[in-house]
Amino acid sequence: MQLPRFEYIRPKNLAEGLAALAEHGDKAVIMSGGSDLLLNMKYRLTTPDVLVSLSDIAELQTVEELTDGSLRIGAGCTLTALAGNAMLGGRYPALHDAIYSVGSRHVRNVGTLGGNLCLDTRCWYTNQSEQWRCSREGCLKTDSDICHAIKSADRCHAINSSDTAPVLIALDAEVILAGPDGERQLPLLDFYRDDGVEHTVRRPDEVLVAVIIPPVSGHAVFAKLAQRVGLDFAAGSFAAFAAGDGAKPDAIRLVIGSVAAMPKVLAESERLLTESGLTDDAIENAALAARQSLGELTSLFTPAGYKRRLIKTLVRDALLELREQMDTGLANTS
Amino acid sequence: MSKQLITLTVNGDKYEIAVAPHHTLLDVLRNDLGLTGTKRGCTAGSCGVCTVNGEKGEAVLSCLSLAVEWDGRSVTTIEGVEEGGRLHPVQQAFLEFGAVQCGFCTPGLIMTAKALLDVNTDPSEEEINEALAGAICRCTGHIKVKKAVRNAARVLHEREMNDGD
Repeated sequence: MQLPRFEYIRPKNLAEGLAALAEHGDKAVIMSGGSDLLLNMKYRLTTPDVLVSLSDIAELQTVEELTDGSLRIGAGCTLTALAGNAMLGGRYPALHDAIYSVGSRHVRNVGTLGGNLCLDTRCWYTNQSEQWRCSREGCLKTDSDICHAIKSADRCHAINSSDTAPVLIALDAEVILAGPDGERQLPLLDFYRDDGVEHTVRRPDEVLVAVIIPPVSGHAVFAKLAQRVGLDFAAGSFAAFAAGDGAKPDAIRLVIGSVAAMPKVLAESERLLTESGLTDDAIENAALAARQSLGELTSLFTPAGYKRRLIKTLVRDALLELREQMDTGLANTS
Repeated sequence: MSKQLITLTVNGDKYEIAVAPHHTLLDVLRNDLGLTGTKRGCTAGSCGVCTVNGEKGEAVLSCLSLAVEWDGRSVTTIEGVEEGGRLHPVQQAFLEFGAVQCGFCTPGLIMTAKALLDVNTDPSEEEINEALAGAICRCTGHIKVKKAVRNAARVLHEREMNDGD
């Protein structure tokens, strides 16, 4: 597959990059590592007139500790660089696991944290070559008003497959977007929208510049299941964070990924565990509640029925691991 | 959409090439430079046959990398792996342990294995599996490939130990 033609701009700093985006508006796309974007361009799902490459913008590639103890990670840091970052791995081992689980080494060597968070949503029907797609009517994401995955749907149900998003949401991370009018900071959860077409609130003239992870005192785990490790996107992923005592946690945050257009917070499961602590029964009930809270699931990539069972198991096993960590005090996140 | 002049060092040789923005590193290596050792497979980042090594020796999918992004940088392809007319230990091991069937994936697998062994000559089984995960043999499986990588690691590890004396 060949790439479509486009004009290429490689700004030297963020200001130049924002100027290029302001000039070209929605005719431009941003490329970070390119492993997701270039494939979508080969598929002709994205055919920008202008491609703005962030690869030369050094200010997006730093990791620093802020005065309040938060970690500020530049969106342009490669996943390989972050997987090898001792400060990040020491403080947030679950995030390290999530980063390390993305794609293959080949992909992590170029793929960036910002790119993983902005990863376009994917669908079995649409994320195919142009020749494959033309054998069927378009869809909400391309040029029609139907959804092949859920026939009755009035919005796109393509899946958000970011592996790093669930953990970062569980850790209460925020993102910084830079635009023509300055920067804005918002919780990562609010960055996403439950719509496969416009799946983030980032405007075309904005750049995701950094992720801020607050200092947290607690434990976190990440779990993911994929058909072939190193090749496939997750069939389901799960991140859990808990602070305090396992028998009576002060805070708990449970997030699943790769089952819908945005990561999903499991509010009912959180409530059950907060009330009863991480007992065997509560964990079983929380896993069941996770399964029940999934709502309308698509059979994209993995049959919906299997996905429900998978999520239940994934949640239960990860919560058991979380409890063990809390009991032993190992792998503290801060 | 005009072509841009880039300076690219391939296997130690410096080239000035005019490349179109939509040409990948793979396109330029094969079509402009005639270095067809790097194979064109899925072109979608799934199979790893187009793997080359970047400036730090890291494994890079040349099919998903724009050539213009390589301006001023250097790359090593399968053609640049040999050591003064002799096969590199990874190549030698692939030969000795029959880790080649049809041979199409071999350049990508060798570049992937070399990226691992350049920084770690004593990898665990898990590290080998993890490193090779992005490169696929379509003929059979990875048993002989892994055997070759383990043996190449041994040779390189011994070399490293002797150099250290």
